[in-house]
Amino acid sequence: MNYSLATLWHERPRFLPGIGAVAFSAVLIALQCGLLLGLFKITSIPVDNSRAHVWVGSPEVLSVDLGRPIQMTYLSRVAGDPRVKEVEPYYQAFASWIKPDGTSELCIVIGTKLDNDSMGSVNQLSPEMRDALTEPNSIVVDKAELRRLGVKGVGDYAEINKVRVRIVGETTGLKSLAGPYVFCSRPTARLLLRAMTPQDHATYLLVRCHNPEDAPGLVEDINAEFGDRHDMSAFTAEKFSFRSRLHWLLKTRAGVALGYTALLGLLVGAVVTSQTLYAATTASAKEYAILLAMGIPRRKVTLTVLVQSFWVGLFGIALAYPIVHLLAYAGQLIEMTIPLPWELLVLSAVVTMVMSMIAGLVALRSVRRIEPMDLLR
Amino acid sequence: MAVPADEQPTLRGITLTRSFSDGGRARNVIDDVTLDLNRGEITLLMGPSGSGKSTMLAILSGLLQPDSGQVLAHENGDWIDVWRLSPREREQFRLRNCGFIFQGYNLFPALTARQQLEIVLRWGDGLPGREARKRADEMLGLLGLGGKENKKPAQLSGGEKQRVAIGRALIKKPRFCFADEPTSALDWGSGQVVIDLLQKAAHEYDSTIIVVSHDYRLLEHVDVSYHLEDGRLTETDVPVNRGFEPWRTGP
Repeated sequence: MNYSLATLWHERPRFLPGIGAVAFSAVLIALQCGLLLGLFKITSIPVDNSRAHVWVGSPEVLSVDLGRPIQMTYLSRVAGDPRVKEVEPYYQAFASWIKPDGTSELCIVIGTKLDNDSMGSVNQLSPEMRDALTEPNSIVVDKAELRRLGVKGVGDYAEINKVRVRIVGETTGLKSLAGPYVFCSRPTARLLLRAMTPQDHATYLLVRCHNPEDAPGLVEDINAEFGDRHDMSAFTAEKFSFRSRLHWLLKTRAGVALGYTALLGLLVGAVVTSQTLYAATTASAKEYAILLAMGIPRRKVTLTVLVQSFWVGLFGIALAYPIVHLLAYAGQLIEMTIPLPWELLVLSAVVTMVMSMIAGLVALRSVRRIEPMDLLR
Repeated sequence: MAVPADEQPTLRGITLTRSFSDGGRARNVIDDVTLDLNRGEITLLMGPSGSGKSTMLAILSGLLQPDSGQVLAHENGDWIDVWRLSPREREQFRLRNCGFIFQGYNLFPALTARQQLEIVLRWGDGLPGREARKRADEMLGLLGLGGKENKKPAQLSGGEKQRVAIGRALIKKPRFCFADEPTSALDWGSGQVVIDLLQKAAHEYDSTIIVVSHDYRLLEHVDVSYHLEDGRLTETDVPVNRGFEPWRTGP
């Protein structure tokens, strides 16, 4: 006999607000986190869409777009390791984009090797685009950024750091956060970024290992050997991607905003759930009072309320998941990516379940108020 | 304290006094009352509204502490001073010995008749589910509720609900059973069934039963009757004993 579940089912209308409140909290947390994940995934696009095992950059670089130039001579130090199959210089820096109408916009220039075995060129660059990019001063931009860049598309001209460039291709799905991505060859990048990237320097050295599983060990060794001298820092691609996202999450304080919103959602959920459980217990106060009169320990009633809060939590979470997925799908329709990794779903479930149980604890004051004597008045 | 062999009472209230504040002045609701309740008997406590009947019931059952006086309960050869026990011990005493019936049934709306009884055995005595279910079904059968084990309170008549409430009070075979106005919400037919069931419990389980009521029709069905007024107790005559009647199975 599960008394709590029987009561929950029998008094569905009474418990529904509590279940709804839990669902609301779970949806809010999952979607907020998902939105933020989607947003900051943008910051690690260059890492996530390329094929390097290890990224070597300026010491303690915080995010992929904040790399400072490092000396090309470091290449031989890295390439000397027997685990390394290949090292490839990579250029990335902010630059000033002058639109045809004369106004300017910040952009991120990415210069990579363009061969088929290139590690740095993003997957979205087709072989045709890479071919076209071999032409000096040619660039590729994302279709979604054309308006922001003030151009119409392929064939248009613009100026980057006072160098005239021509658009030779358009990618899709690489919309950026800080400034539109501009993809080009390494010689073009060196030219465009000449003011901030000295001769014989690159922004990153991308490394391919013979065995991808060697990457973490290689990173450890590079950092142990060169980290102390503040020459360079190495990261596995996964770590660098995460580091870039985390940096922007914290720097923009979006994490704090998320925390507040989630907290607010949890508070609302907790209050409604607690009130639901309180009202339900108060409604059965006389029945419980008889049991207490008969000497049944109060903790049994307490446990019942806590078990009810568990069920309310579980049903709320079960209700939330389809809604979360539906809203994430709706987001896709308006080109808003809301990733929902299982870790996020588990996290939101755990947080809301804890909230529901706390609401149950708060509602226990109703149990303390039950007095068998009240039945005799 | 050892019990003399000829000792009949099993529950004794000795010089009980209890006052309540009434408009800033203390009023004695129970005033130096002494009474003995005997095993296997139904004692009826009557009196007008506000005469302190329910207060008396609460004091005797260990729910409300008297200002002075003692409540002695006979359990396993010893007399226990109920109000000298710690709250925890008193709770355990009630768990071992007491059943309660109230006017308003107070059944859980979500639970079936069987579950209303099971819950007492499972939560109180920690009985396993199967055993509790068996005993609940037996009790419901005795109460004439066979076939209604899975009915919820909303599907039962007033008399049936009160019978389930009686079943809940008696399922532990309590030494003491306290009933507060158990028949006042029922028609006389159902009321008679209730009192018959209590008589049966008194005889069958050797229970000491105290009924608080202002229903004079009960007088001819009880063994002893008291009248409580202005906090004072007087014994009243009960009609010649009606003898033991078997279980009735219908309202």
